[in-house]
Amino acid sequence: MNPALLTARYTRFEIGRIWRNPRFLIFSVTFPFIMFAAFTSSDATDRLGDITVGPYVMVSMATFGAMVSIVGTAGRIALERAGGWSRQLRLTALTGGHYLLTKVITSFALALPALVVVFVEADALGRAKLPVHTYFVVGLWVLIGMVPLAAFGIWLGYLLRADNAAQLSGAVSSLLALAGGVWVPVEQFPDWMAKIAKALPMYWTGDAGREVIAGSWLGWHGLAILAVWTVILGRLAARAYSRDQLRA
Amino acid sequence: MPRFSASRPPRDERAAHQARGSGSGTGTGTGTAASSPAPAPSAPSARSSSAPSRAGSPGAAPIVLDGVHRGYGATKAVDGVSLAVPAGQVVALLGPNGAGKSTTIDILLGLTRPERGTVSLFGQEPRQACASGRVGAMLQNGGLLPYATVGAVLDALRGLYPRPLPTAEALRRAGATELAGSRTERLSGGQRQRVRFAAALLPDPDLLVLDEPTAAMDVAARLAFWAATREWAAEGRTVLFATHYLAEADDFADRIVLLRAGKVVADGPTTEVKGQVGGRTIRATLPGAETGRLAALGPLPGVTRAETRGETIELTCADSDRALRALLAAAADVRDIEITGAGLEDAFVALTSAPAGHAAPAQAASLQGTASLQGTASPQGTSSPQGTSPQDWAKETSR
Repeated sequence: MNPALLTARYTRFEIGRIWRNPRFLIFSVTFPFIMFAAFTSSDATDRLGDITVGPYVMVSMATFGAMVSIVGTAGRIALERAGGWSRQLRLTALTGGHYLLTKVITSFALALPALVVVFVEADALGRAKLPVHTYFVVGLWVLIGMVPLAAFGIWLGYLLRADNAAQLSGAVSSLLALAGGVWVPVEQFPDWMAKIAKALPMYWTGDAGREVIAGSWLGWHGLAILAVWTVILGRLAARAYSRDQLRA
Repeated sequence: MPRFSASRPPRDERAAHQARGSGSGTGTGTGTAASSPAPAPSAPSARSSSAPSRAGSPGAAPIVLDGVHRGYGATKAVDGVSLAVPAGQVVALLGPNGAGKSTTIDILLGLTRPERGTVSLFGQEPRQACASGRVGAMLQNGGLLPYATVGAVLDALRGLYPRPLPTAEALRRAGATELAGSRTERLSGGQRQRVRFAAALLPDPDLLVLDEPTAAMDVAARLAFWAATREWAAEGRTVLFATHYLAEADDFADRIVLLRAGKVVADGPTTEVKGQVGGRTIRATLPGAETGRLAALGPLPGVTRAETRGETIELTCADSDRALRALLAAAADVRDIEITGAGLEDAFVALTSAPAGHAAPAQAASLQGTASLQGTASPQGTSSPQGTSPQDWAKETSR
């Protein structure tokens, strides 16, 4: 059977299934929507470095929503391992590699609603007034910044047991968001913490979107850090995955 | 009570289908069972056109395991299992918990890699055979995805096979039609099993592998399940199921493969293995037995297990006639002889629970007996399938 067709079919099913799960919508879409409104209600036009608070928080919340979807892969994989669904799938024509591919495509596709909702909200409330194409470029960079996190989600999915995967990936997401300057700009961290944050991928994930609004781009340094982390986390994910395949 | 669809078709019909199926190696028709009201022609799947991608070697046996080993740490879960199953056979993999049934099934489905030995399904790697839809399996922890309806989950699986049955047809055959709209996470244990069964039927496979399929079912559900499985097998297809219920193996299998501690300890037609397992017990008084006289007599033919309690000896026999003659010849003063038909379950436990190497002195004779079942040293016992290689046995039964 054509692997691309299988992947497409299974991805469509997967997206539909997760989209109908209310818990997903609450964390990935509703939560960033509310947070944006709350964080920008009083000081949307204050300046934070090169950009104003409104667009800054917009990028942060969009990044957070996208991250919930992408790191959420961990919980979904752990659950499917525990429930024996992954074993059932191994008896079909869908290969392990394509299974992971569907997981990645699904998580990126489900990151889009958060971006759209927060961007539209920011624009409609007048707290970010950007040219339409800038929203697209910001969205694209946020998604590019998510690539190492996609590998991280897969790794976590094969590392964790189902009963604690949901809580742990929630906690990990919050820490990642902190490191990414989603809640507080990293520049306001104590110096040593800022240094650590800037060595982690998440800071650059957040920065990828913010730089566009500041009229710049992520830069080679940030891109290199994201690439290195993608390789490291990708390796870890691949190792955890093949260990799981042998044991199962 | 769940409504499984079929009643039990006659055996000879199975044989007829089988002849067709094993010749072409492509399996047989898709039709509903002989007893179903609706005739087959409208069934949408098109097996006749499916030959190219179902290839493998034509006529290759559905299952061939050759010297398969797999351990977990220090334990040998599967210790040199060889097994060949010809098309159309219904085989029970019988053994107590921990005998290696599930590991054997995992290996044969390609879910676990054997440390040594080879596996082929229809002459292909297990992975390929599964991907081409020739194998359907009901795993013990075989999952259903939560937060979706049964119909949606089966539709998703269906999209991953080359020539699947319609979802409604799989559900109907598994007696689970009314569950199509239920959410998977809200099913009861028995309902879950029926949905898993539907999932196993979905690829329209030539081989069904069932790991303890009736585990969560009540009696009525069990009967209905086996009726549906029989209907399916009557179309000339192959079934291998694991169970720890001797009665289930006895009722539904053509052939029993008995596993103990990862080894095949008996393999043959159901009636023969049952004969070995469910022999008779001789009880008698043997003066001097308390001081080891029984062991001193040496191994007695036809005895699978020997015990002494004071002067009383108890011999579990595959062939009590021979055992008794030998016993009388060896010890003329034996008295109070009593022969009873052993309970099938007791004998099964006796045969499958004594791991070699941990035998107490009193069980010396029993070791002899079980060794003969493994086909190692067996001057006695000519009628049993011991010593027959799986391949020979496959020939015998492929008729």
